[in-house]
Amino acid sequence: MTYKVTEEGNIATVFLDGEIDMDVTEKAKEVILPLVNSGKEVHLNLKDVAYMDSSGISVLIESHQMALEKNTKVVVKEVSKSVLKVIMMAKLEQILNLG
Amino acid sequence: MNLSESKDFLVSSASLKEVRTFSRETFEKVNLNQELKDELVLAIAEAAQNIVKHGYKGVQETSDRMEIKISLNEDELKIGFYDKGKPVVPGNVQHRKLDDIKPGGLGTFFIKQIMDEAVFKKDQQGWVNHLVLTKKI
Repeated sequence: MTYKVTEEGNIATVFLDGEIDMDVTEKAKEVILPLVNSGKEVHLNLKDVAYMDSSGISVLIESHQMALEKNTKVVVKEVSKSVLKVIMMAKLEQILNLG
Repeated sequence: MNLSESKDFLVSSASLKEVRTFSRETFEKVNLNQELKDELVLAIAEAAQNIVKHGYKGVQETSDRMEIKISLNEDELKIGFYDKGKPVVPGNVQHRKLDDIKPGGLGTFFIKQIMDEAVFKKDQQGWVNHLVLTKKI
């Protein structure tokens, strides 16, 4: 997994690239959670993520829940069909902010 | 169609990508729609992840290997997982409730959603655990 972060005003966009599994979740959290913790609105762009398993879903949940605590939000954007299917399987499409 | 492919992997989160590659290459040999193939790869990866995450919980590094066997006999798909981790107590393998939104606990749920059956067999054949996932396809 690789990533790129851009920031504009109070919005930080994290572009993730690759497959998100247990092996890379710590790396993903190290990138995403400090941004959320700082109170920024974080956009996770998943257009280049073709595969995500339950570990990746956990990162989305943890980010979302931290954002609620910090009175900000995480928006999950440009979700691929295969990743959306996993999100829906977990019945999270109404919980996460899908933009 | 009949098919049987097996491969062993180092028990490590770094092996999960290799597990998916093996699964994808195996399913390329079978006439299934892509959506189902993706689901099956996810189920296999989740079961392998469970071995790494739970079977070897607290183990920083191991040289142990796990074996995955994918067999198709006509319309019955069987996927066997063999490992030498902590013995699994089948009754303790539960996923979290979906409305209890929190990180973790979804892997087993995904497996149950995708597969028809997930059973720990007693015929470990020299291994500690032998999980078999089945699905009519």
